[in-house]
Amino acid sequence: MSWTLGIDVGGTFTDVCAYEPSTGLTHYHKRPSTPANPAEAILAGIGELCAATGLHPRDIGRIAHGTTVATNALIEKRPCRVALITTEGFRDLLEIGRQVRPSIYDLQKDNPPPIVPRHLRFEVAERVTRGGRIVQALEDAEIARVVAQVAAAEPDAVAVCLLFSYLTDAHELRLGEALRRAMPEVEISLSCEVRPEFREYERLSTTVLNAYLQPIMHTYLTRLEDGIEETVGPVPLGINQSSGGLISAGRARTFPIRTALSGPAAGVAGAVHLARQIGEPNAITLDIGGTSSDVALLRGFSASTIHERWVEGYPVRMPSVDIDAIGAGGGSIAWVDTDGLVKVGPRSAGAVPGPACYGRGGTKPTVSDANLFLGRLSADGLLSGSMPMQVDAAAAVIAELAKETGLSQEWAALGIIDIAVANMVRGIRAISVERGHDPRDFTLIAYGGAGPLHAASVARALGIRRIMVPRHPGLLCAQGLIVADQLEHFVRTVHLPLNDALAAALAPVLAELRMQAEEWFSAQEVEPGDAHTETRLEMRYLGQNFELAVPFSGKGDDDPAALEEAFSAAHDEAYGFHNPGAPIEITSVRIAASGRHHRDMEPAQAASDTAATPTPIASRPVWFDRSGAVETAIYDRAKLAYGHRIEGPAIIEQLDTTVVVFPKDVASVDARHNLLIEVSA
Amino acid sequence: MSQPPELDPITLEVILSGLRSVTDETYIALMKSAFSTNIKERNDHSTALIDPAGRMISLCERSQPIHLSSMLGLTGALLRKYDLDAFRPGDIFVSNDPYTADGSHLPDVALSMPVFVDGELLCFMCNIAHHADIGGMAPGSMSGGMTEIYQEGLRIPPVRLFNQGEVVADIFDLLLLNARVPDERRGDYYAQIAACKLGERRIKELAATHGRGHLATAFDQLIERTHARMLKAIANVAPGAYRFEDVMDDDGFGAAAMPIAVEITVGDPALGGRIRCDFAGSSPAVLGNINVPFRALQSSIVYAVRALLDPDVPSNQGMLDAIEIDAPAGSILNAAFPAAVAGRANTCQRVIDVVLGALAPALPERAVGAANGANTAVIFSGTDGETGRSYVYLETVGGGFGGRATKDGKDGVQVHLINTSNLPVEAIETEYPLLVESYGFVPDSGGAGTHRGGLGLRRVIRPVDHTTTFTGQGERFLTPPWGVFGGASGGTGGFKLRKADGTVCDMPTKPGLTPITPDQALIVETAGAGGYGPPERRSREKRTEDISSEKFSPTFMAEHYGND
Repeated sequence: MSWTLGIDVGGTFTDVCAYEPSTGLTHYHKRPSTPANPAEAILAGIGELCAATGLHPRDIGRIAHGTTVATNALIEKRPCRVALITTEGFRDLLEIGRQVRPSIYDLQKDNPPPIVPRHLRFEVAERVTRGGRIVQALEDAEIARVVAQVAAAEPDAVAVCLLFSYLTDAHELRLGEALRRAMPEVEISLSCEVRPEFREYERLSTTVLNAYLQPIMHTYLTRLEDGIEETVGPVPLGINQSSGGLISAGRARTFPIRTALSGPAAGVAGAVHLARQIGEPNAITLDIGGTSSDVALLRGFSASTIHERWVEGYPVRMPSVDIDAIGAGGGSIAWVDTDGLVKVGPRSAGAVPGPACYGRGGTKPTVSDANLFLGRLSADGLLSGSMPMQVDAAAAVIAELAKETGLSQEWAALGIIDIAVANMVRGIRAISVERGHDPRDFTLIAYGGAGPLHAASVARALGIRRIMVPRHPGLLCAQGLIVADQLEHFVRTVHLPLNDALAAALAPVLAELRMQAEEWFSAQEVEPGDAHTETRLEMRYLGQNFELAVPFSGKGDDDPAALEEAFSAAHDEAYGFHNPGAPIEITSVRIAASGRHHRDMEPAQAASDTAATPTPIASRPVWFDRSGAVETAIYDRAKLAYGHRIEGPAIIEQLDTTVVVFPKDVASVDARHNLLIEVSA
Repeated sequence: MSQPPELDPITLEVILSGLRSVTDETYIALMKSAFSTNIKERNDHSTALIDPAGRMISLCERSQPIHLSSMLGLTGALLRKYDLDAFRPGDIFVSNDPYTADGSHLPDVALSMPVFVDGELLCFMCNIAHHADIGGMAPGSMSGGMTEIYQEGLRIPPVRLFNQGEVVADIFDLLLLNARVPDERRGDYYAQIAACKLGERRIKELAATHGRGHLATAFDQLIERTHARMLKAIANVAPGAYRFEDVMDDDGFGAAAMPIAVEITVGDPALGGRIRCDFAGSSPAVLGNINVPFRALQSSIVYAVRALLDPDVPSNQGMLDAIEIDAPAGSILNAAFPAAVAGRANTCQRVIDVVLGALAPALPERAVGAANGANTAVIFSGTDGETGRSYVYLETVGGGFGGRATKDGKDGVQVHLINTSNLPVEAIETEYPLLVESYGFVPDSGGAGTHRGGLGLRRVIRPVDHTTTFTGQGERFLTPPWGVFGGASGGTGGFKLRKADGTVCDMPTKPGLTPITPDQALIVETAGAGGYGPPERRSREKRTEDISSEKFSPTFMAEHYGND
């Protein structure tokens, strides 16, 4: 027996999922998080799961972990003294950024302060320009001077980012070597190692954030590894990175910025696994939580990767699963604006006080209050029974909104949900057009505490016809970690035109990247059968500044005509047109290397002998639209079996969520206990 | 016709969300598919939805504020030029001219597409993109040295670019022939066209969901509600007449210290709750190209009033109609043909300064010190020896943002009307034969105060292995940005030429075509900003930081805060 643990740490809960591939057994455990030291809840969670299930800790063979330590450090602005070395003449770049304000009209809103204050930003005389050409060489005496200055400032970490180091890294490497020699105990981040990519400010910001996170991540992972070593033994610990694969704990210490969006990425990995199970290559994932919703687009069973995003107001140039957060969730507060229009969010009641119906002092109407008032949520709370709901409190806050808007309470409550859904739909549409897709062609995979509650409304507004609700919507992240691949991207920035010399110019770049991938496979102990690589060329029209990734096999498609055709097709798909004859260039070559851990976690079951229509556990009046309440059957998800079919209206309750099936929609249970809902036209 | 039923505030909000979604999506589509860095990286573009009465219904929130009312210009001109039944599905109109199409300057090319639902005209999908060149006597179509509109580029009156779904190739050829770098122009036009078409598709979907009649009713009611909301915000300003005056540096043709004067009236019964901005006393139009067409003036005032009174108000006609504007015809703020207008943004920024300055006593908690107050543009052109390609590189440089009631101003940002990104140094040097020697703050340029003004920016650029041609537009190079409530003025900016022997000489504020050789360098410095409140109330902690950050010299600190 060799168990794999998937451990997802969220702000509120730490989820542990255990899986044994030879028997197909799974166990789940959920416990409160310990934000001050997240390792505490993890170690306790492992202990509790073992105690409850009889699993022996020494039978655990591998642990995969998704962490929010990096993100939380940035949110909480944990102190860390970072020094920075830049090219002479550019020490203010970190503070200037792109010279824009975060809000055009709001005179009071500012960007977050730079991570490195001005007096800790040092300049070094050297210069590289276009093509990686050295204009001014970096002298040894200059290195000695600046390293002495930096050392005297006694930093916890040092970042180095010089102009054009993505093309010529010699100056940064020499500085790095000298810094490591002079300050062996201090963490050093070089931009040519963190992210050797074009555009100095984004590279600089990423490098500085990496340096800032290094000491913090080091402390955390050391604590966690020590604890695991003690209770479980010396098992490999994989850390989920923002781009949706696992890296070793050692690599996470060196490049902590890679984990800055690790949490939601695990959920998407879980969703991808589900999409494969149900054979649905194109899906939109919708994870609705208390304050926000995370949305991702899956195409051909995979989420796309984006290479830049903002984390707490700072740009990060790093691959991450293309997930967008929309500021609408179950706790979003409804309010009346000065023009009399009703708005929902972006303010949220959060966990404390929470929605009024939690009875913990919330006084503003939220999306959850509306769901309870309309009968969509049970007054008994979730089936776990841990938290009964206060219907009166919800009714009281909704009555106030009704009075303010001159609507009935029911219409006001329906309105709160309609507006929250409209916000989500607006967000999903923007994301779709940005990626060049029409949401209509996708299946909606709904999870998170409130995803299955709103999925049908969101789907209908987007013209989506099919919804999938996984068996354990609240544990998808932990499941995603178990099936996550070991993943690494290898990138080289180039500037190659499409001409006859292309194949010859590409060959050495590809060879170098493939060699790096091979070295990585052996370092990660990936079995040859599980090793996969995928090559993509980032291409654009000469003069364009956004690139499109074109898959590349290197077998017969490295001639310019074939590449032009592939790029034109990608441009058509993304933007609806292409520019025949316009010169095209390749700006970078990427190889994604993955070591597969794919397992079919929830094996398909045989159909049950029970009736195709299950028996409701109760019924209650539920409002679906303005035409009035409908007496609606309530089902217990745990009692549903393969082949069961439920025609809406229906409410399906389970431990961690509530599923709303609208009138005329049809829900059915598949062989893995997923719920599939066909949305009526 | 009977009064349509009132839509409830929830249905209205859901429709508003849908309309915003349309302008969001078209904005993103334009940005993602454009060719020029000016749109893709600097996002100098906007999208909007306008109704058949020419009223603004929804403007994408990320739009450039200066595009707001010139967006209305084209559709307004179309409605004057044509009867409604002249519009056909698949038509797309184009224009840029301030005098025949109510544009704001020639590089801002506007597109407008009538959208039909059930055979009836429901609205126009509109967008503006700032094209990096529109022809005329100087590359970039923005430089100083031009005195009439004909020199500034190709004037496009409202004409069809698409006729019932077919491109009007004759017009398109004409547009492309008259701009430098026509391939880039073609790509940007395609992006604008694609954005119109996407908008048309989305509006039709929205109409299928809500019904055409409901959408048209929603247009009316959104405007009414926003108007009422603005009147409420204006009512928070104490009734009275508020005056303020500042001056422009010069126009590059001999006119100097031109006054920009405003009197803002609130509470006059004749206004019915609206606010009036009267610019009587401002300078007559000048020869240089910093004259402001009326639509650009309106954009500026709308920005200032919105920022002060209600930053979250929806951008629609109801907001525009709450502000009455008077500016003497033929003045620098209401330019008449054939006045040159390419550099109008500099004057627009000054208009905002005087509006904010006038209302400062009425709204002390929201007031700010005068900002960089310019749209400092640097344009280099020449031929890249390495690639043999000709190039035009245009960039606008930010500066200081004024001190505020509770905190310091901002250092090195675009201010007010302008919020475009800089171009990365690595992009500049890769695409153009230029080397950026340094890019940083100008020390001591933030006006002293309880909350100090922000610092200006300094950039030093030299051509590599060739002689480049420089032109520029600067403001607040002579007239410092003032402080409020006792705060001191910030530093002024300037263009300077560093010669081969290292000596530095000042250049005019609006230099015409100036050769710069590889052994020389151009230095551009922008103004800082004014402080807020008396300097003697600045905290010791803040003063310590001023010195430790080296943003201010000990001499400056002693001079403005005394020795303690």
